[in-house]
Amino acid sequence: MDGAPVDLLNFVMGVFGGLFLDPVVSMFNRPDKLIQLFTQGLSAGVMYSLIALGFVLIFKASGVFNFAQGIMVVFAGLTVVTLMEAGVPALLAIGGAIVAMIALAFAIERAVLRPLVNQDGIILFMATIGLAFFLEGLGQTIFGADPKPVPVDKLLIPDGKLRLWGDVFPKPVRIYELDLTAAIFGALMVAAILLFLNRTKMGRALRAVADDNQAALSVGISLQTIWVIVWSLAGFVAIFAGIMWGAQSQAGFSLAVLALKALPVLILGGFTSIPGAIAGGLIIGVGEKLGEFYWRGVLGDGVEQWFGYVIALFVLLFRPQGLFGEKIIERV
Amino acid sequence: MTEHRRIVGDTLLKVENISLGFGGVQALSGISFEIREHEILAIIGPNGAGKTSMLNVINGFYHPQEGAIAFKGEVRRTMRPHRAAKQGIARTFQNVALFKGMSTLDNIMSGRNLRMHRNILWQMLYYGPARNEEMEHRHRVEEIIDFLEIQAIRRTPVGRLPYGLQKRVELARALAMEPELLLLDEPMAGMNVEEKEDMCRFIIDVNEQFGTTIALIEHDMGVVMDISDRVVVLDYGRKLAEGTPDEVRANQDVIDAYLGVPHEEELV
Amino acid sequence: MSDTDTFPKLLLENASRIGNRPGCREKDLGIWQTWTWAQVADEVRALACGLAALGFGRGDKLIIIGDNRPRLYWSMTAAQAIGGVPVPVYQDSAAKEMGFVIDHAEARFALAEDQEQVDKLLEIKGTNQTLESIVYDDARGMRNYDQAFLHDFDKVQEMGRAFDRDNPGFYDDAVAAGKGSDISVMLYTSGTTGNPKGVVLTHTNVMRTAENNEKMEGLKESDEILAYLPMAWVGDHIFSFGQNYTAGFCVNCPESSATVMQDLRDIGPTYFFAPPRIFENILTTVMVRMEDAAPIKRRLFHYFMDVAQRAGTRILDGKPVSSMDRLLYALGNVLVYGPLKNTLGFSRIRLAYTAGEAIGPDIFDFFRALGINLKQLYGMTEASVFITVQPDGQIRPDTVGVPAPEVEVKIADNGEVLFRGPGSFQEYYKSAEATSETKDPEGWVHTGDAGVFTEDGHLKIIDRAKDVGRLNDGTLVAPKYLENKLKFFPNIKEAVAFGHQRDYVAAFINIDLVAMGNWAERHNVAYGGYQELAAYPDVQDIVREHVEQVNRDLASDPQLGGSQIRRFLVLPKELDADDGELTRTRKVRRSFVADRYAELIEALYSDRNTCHVETEVTFEDGRKGMLAADLRILDAKTFPVAEAMREAS
Ligand SMILES: Nc1ncnc2c1ncn2[C@@H]1O[C@H](COP(=O)(O)OP(=O)(O)OP(=O)(O)O)[C@@H](O)[C@H]1O
Ligand SMILES: [Mg+2]
Repeated sequence: MDGAPVDLLNFVMGVFGGLFLDPVVSMFNRPDKLIQLFTQGLSAGVMYSLIALGFVLIFKASGVFNFAQGIMVVFAGLTVVTLMEAGVPALLAIGGAIVAMIALAFAIERAVLRPLVNQDGIILFMATIGLAFFLEGLGQTIFGADPKPVPVDKLLIPDGKLRLWGDVFPKPVRIYELDLTAAIFGALMVAAILLFLNRTKMGRALRAVADDNQAALSVGISLQTIWVIVWSLAGFVAIFAGIMWGAQSQAGFSLAVLALKALPVLILGGFTSIPGAIAGGLIIGVGEKLGEFYWRGVLGDGVEQWFGYVIALFVLLFRPQGLFGEKIIERV
Repeated sequence: MTEHRRIVGDTLLKVENISLGFGGVQALSGISFEIREHEILAIIGPNGAGKTSMLNVINGFYHPQEGAIAFKGEVRRTMRPHRAAKQGIARTFQNVALFKGMSTLDNIMSGRNLRMHRNILWQMLYYGPARNEEMEHRHRVEEIIDFLEIQAIRRTPVGRLPYGLQKRVELARALAMEPELLLLDEPMAGMNVEEKEDMCRFIIDVNEQFGTTIALIEHDMGVVMDISDRVVVLDYGRKLAEGTPDEVRANQDVIDAYLGVPHEEELV
Repeated sequence: MSDTDTFPKLLLENASRIGNRPGCREKDLGIWQTWTWAQVADEVRALACGLAALGFGRGDKLIIIGDNRPRLYWSMTAAQAIGGVPVPVYQDSAAKEMGFVIDHAEARFALAEDQEQVDKLLEIKGTNQTLESIVYDDARGMRNYDQAFLHDFDKVQEMGRAFDRDNPGFYDDAVAAGKGSDISVMLYTSGTTGNPKGVVLTHTNVMRTAENNEKMEGLKESDEILAYLPMAWVGDHIFSFGQNYTAGFCVNCPESSATVMQDLRDIGPTYFFAPPRIFENILTTVMVRMEDAAPIKRRLFHYFMDVAQRAGTRILDGKPVSSMDRLLYALGNVLVYGPLKNTLGFSRIRLAYTAGEAIGPDIFDFFRALGINLKQLYGMTEASVFITVQPDGQIRPDTVGVPAPEVEVKIADNGEVLFRGPGSFQEYYKSAEATSETKDPEGWVHTGDAGVFTEDGHLKIIDRAKDVGRLNDGTLVAPKYLENKLKFFPNIKEAVAFGHQRDYVAAFINIDLVAMGNWAERHNVAYGGYQELAAYPDVQDIVREHVEQVNRDLASDPQLGGSQIRRFLVLPKELDADDGELTRTRKVRRSFVADRYAELIEALYSDRNTCHVETEVTFEDGRKGMLAADLRILDAKTFPVAEAMREAS
C-alpha cells in the first residue's frame, strides 16, 4: 500500500520527463537528428500543403468538401505507373495522367456538379463520397487491386541519402533525396498555384467566384469553366502526390488514407484560407515528425497517425477562427 | 438637366410574351416590350411587381417557362449569364453584389476578364505581351475610375466601403465590360440626395458619352421622369403600360395601380 | 538677381539651366505624370501665345479658378509673360463672391478647371460687363456647351503654337519687356468685414521673399512639395509657385482633393506646409486608429510616444539627451515613428511649416517628437507671406520666431505688430483709402495683430490688436491669448475673458461635454446634460486647476503676467451659434455675449459668490426654451510675476 504514492509519483515524473525533459535533452545532444527531422517534416508538410490547397480551391470555388481527393491521388499515381509499365516514357506517362485528370474534371463537372448546382453543401459532400466509391471500383477494374512499385529511376527521381555537415555535428545530417525532391517540386507547385491565383485572369475569376457567385456570372465568368479548372488543379496535385507518396512505399489504394492527412491542416488553416493551407501543412508536417520521434517512447507507436489533430485542436484553443481566419469587416 | 443628343435607334433587345413562375408565384405573365438602341428605359412598378425578375430573365439568371428574347436580332428561349455578358449585357444588382474581399481596382478589373486573351502562363510570369495587355486594361479601368470619381478608394477592399460607394464600384465594374446594354437594378436605392444626383449624372454621362443603352429599375419617380426616354410599368407580373414618361404619368391604370398608392419610398 | 527679375524670365532660365529636372507632376489615371522644366517652359509658351491670339494683352487680368493643377499654375506664368496679371480665386467660393472679384478686377479673361467652375462663370457673365473669354482645362461634361467664348485649353495651346510660328519674336520680346516692378499677381483676401480686397504684389515682392526664405532654409532643386491648398491663398502662391521657380524644386499636384492623404504617401514631400487644423486632424486620426489597434501595438505606441516626447524634440533641437533615451528613440524609430511617418507620407520631410492661427502645444510637440522639423511662421498676404520665422533650434510652441531676412518688425504703442520689407505689398487694388490705412508713408504695414517680443527677440502674437485692452492699472490684457491658453486644455471647449477697464481679469468658461463626459463616465458621475455636469463641483475644480495652470504660465511672462485670471465661472449652457453667441465659423461674438450676460460679468467683478441667471436657449431640434440657474463664482490663485527677468537682462 505505502508504495502506491511513490509509484504514482514515479509515474507522473516519468511521463513528465518523457514528455518534456527527454526530448529537450535529446534535441540538445543530437542536433543533427533534429535538423534531419525538420527537413523530413518540411518535405512531408509541403505535400500536405499541396493537398490542402486542392481542397481549399475546390471548397472556395464550389462549396464542395471533396471527399474524393484521396482516391484521386491513387488514381493519378496508378495511371502514371501503369502507363510506364506498359513501356510509355516517363514524361509521356505524366502527360497521359494530366490528360486523364482533366478528363476526370470535365466528367465530374458534367455528371456531378452541374446537375446538383444550387444544392446544399451536404448533398454535394455526399456526392463526392459516392464519387470516391465509384472511382475506387473503377480503379480496381482498370489497374487491379495490387499496389505497384513506382519506377523511381525512370522518373529521374534521385533516391539516395545525402550526408551533410559531418564536421559540424557529432554525426552527419542524413537527408533523403526523395524528401528533398518532394519538398522542392512541392514548393514550386505551390508557387505556381499562387502565381496562377494572383496574376492571371482565371485566378481573379476564381477569387471572384469564391466571393460572389452571381456577380461573377454577371461579368461573364463561367462557373463551369472555373469548376473544371479547380478540379483539374486538384488532379495535378494528385498526380504529384501519387508519384511522390508512391515512391516512398508503393502506389496502391492505401494511399487514399494519406490524403486525409489534409484534414487537420484544413482545421488548422481554415477551409477557405490559402495561406492557411500552406502554413498549416508545414506546421503539421514538422510537428508530426518531431512528435513521432521524441514522444514515441511515452505515447507509443503510431503517434504520426493522430498527432496532426492534436496540434490542430491545440491551436484552435487559442485561435478559434483558425490560423489565418480573417475577421470579416463588413459595414451594414 | 442637359438635353440628350443621341439618336434613339433600332430595337436592341426584345422580350416577347415572357412568363415566369416559381411554384405558386407567377412572377411574370406574358410580358413583351423592347429596348431600343441608345435609349434609357425605366422599368417601374410596386414591390414584387417582377422588375428584378425581368432583368434576371434578360441576363440569363432566370429561365422563363414561356416566351423568347431577341438580342441584336438573335432569338433565344433562354440566356446563360456568361453568354449574356459575352454578347454585351452588363448589370448591377439590387443588393450590391461585389467581390467583398477584393479591392476596388480588382473588382473593376474583373469586369475586363472577358477581354483578356493572353496566355495564362505569360500572365503568371507577367511577361511580354501579357504584361502589356494587363497595362492596357488597367488604363481602361483607370479611365472608368476617373469617370466615376473613385480615385480615393482604388486600393480599399470594397467590403469596407459605405453603401453609396459600393454601388458606384458596382457600376464601374459593369462599365469595365464596355457593354452595349446596361441593366441597373435600383442604382440609387439607399442613397442620400447628393449621392443620387451624382449617380444620375453618371448614368446620363454613360448614355450620352458612350452611347450605352440603359435599362434601369428605379422607385424615385422624380429621377425616372427626369432621365428616362421611355418607361415600362409592371404590376403583379403584368405589363400595365409602356410609353414616354408623360404618357405613362397620364395613364389611368398606372395612376390607379401605382402612382396613387403610397410606396415605401417617396413619390412625386 | 541680375536681370532675371520676372517669373517668365526665371522660367526660361530654369529651362536652360535645369531643363531636364522635374518641374511639376500630377497624378492622372493613377499614374504620376512629370513635366521637366523644359517642358513647362514649352507649355507656358504655347498657352501664352494662345491667350495673346485670343486678344489677351498687357494689363489684362486672368481669373484662375480650380484645384491645384499644373495647367493652372502654367496659366499664371503665361499671363505674366505677355504682361498680364493672374488673379487666382478660391475655387469653393460662391458665384456671387467670385462675381465681385471679377467685376472689381475688370477681368476680361478667365481660366476654369472644369464644368463646375465654368457654370459659375456663366452665371456671373449674365450680370458682369467685362468678362469676354473663358478657357477650361477639363473637357468632361462640356460637350453640350457651344458658346463661342468658351475655349478648350488644348485648343488654345494649339492656336498659340500657330501664333508663335506666325509671330516669331513675339513671345521672347514680350517676356523681355517685363520688369521686376510689374505686378505679378493680385490676391484677394476675404476681409472679416466688407468686400475682399485685392492685394497687389510685384515680381520683386514675390521673388525676393521666396528667395530669402529659400536661402535661410536651404531649399534645393531636389526638394518635393505637394500643392494642395487653394491657389488663391498667398502661402500656396509662394510655396508652390514662387519657390517652385526660385529654388527649382518639383511641385506635385494631387489626383483629386479626396486623395490628398494617399498622394502625400506616394510623393513623400521634403517640404510641407499645413495649417494647424490639418495637423490636428492627422493627430486625431492617428489616435483613433491606435485606440482600435491590437493591445500590444497600442501599448508599444504609447510607450514609444512617451520616449519621443522626452527625447525627440530635444534631439531635433540639438540639445543633450541621455544615451539610454537616445537608444530607445532609435528603437522607437524602427518600431513606431518610422512606420507611422511612412503611412502619413512624412518620412522624407526636411522642413514643415504651420501658420495661420495658434497651434496647440500638444499637437506641435507630437509632430516634433516624431522627428519632423515642424516650425511656425507668421505672415500675411500683404507681406508675401514671411514676416517672422522660427530658425532651426529655436522652436517654441508659443512664439512665431524672429523677423525673416530683410524684414523689419516693430511693435506700435498700442501693441500692434508693424513690418516693412521686400515683400511689402504695393497697394489694395483700386482702394487708396484702405491702402493708406494699412501702410504708412514710411512703408510700415499694420498687421492688425497685437504682439510682444520676448527677451531673446522672438515675436509672440497675442491677439487681434483691436481686441487688446488694458486693466485700470494699465496692464496689457489680450483676451484671445488667454482664451486660447484655456482652450488648449481638452476639457475646456470655449472661454471668454474680460478685463478692459476693469481691476482684474475674469472669464466665462464652457466645459467640453465629450471630454468631461468621458471623465464623468470613468468616475461614475451621473449627469443629465451639459448644465448638470457643468455645475458639478469636481468638474469646476478641474476647471479651476486649468485656470491656475494658465496663471502659473502667465506669471513667467513679464509683459502679460499682470493679466492672470482672478475669478471665473462655468457657464450653464454651451455658447451656441443658434443663439447668436458664436459666429457660424464658431468664433465668439464677444460684445453680444457681454451684453447678454451683463449680470454675470457684474457678479464676477463684485464680491458675490453666486449669481442667478435666466436666459433663452435653442435646443438641438430648434425649439426654444428658458434656462434658469444659480451659478457659483469661483476664485483662482494668482502667482507673482517674474519681473526680475527684465532687470537681469
Ligand atoms: N428565386 C425566386 N424564388 C421564388 N420566388 C421568387 C424568386 N424571385 C422572385 N420571386 C417572386 O417573384 C415576384 C417578383 O419579384 P421581383 O423581385 O422580381 O420583384 P421586384 O419588382 O423587383 O420588387 P422590388 O421592388 O421589391 O425589388 C415576387 O413575388 C417574388 O417573391
Ligand atoms: Mg427588385
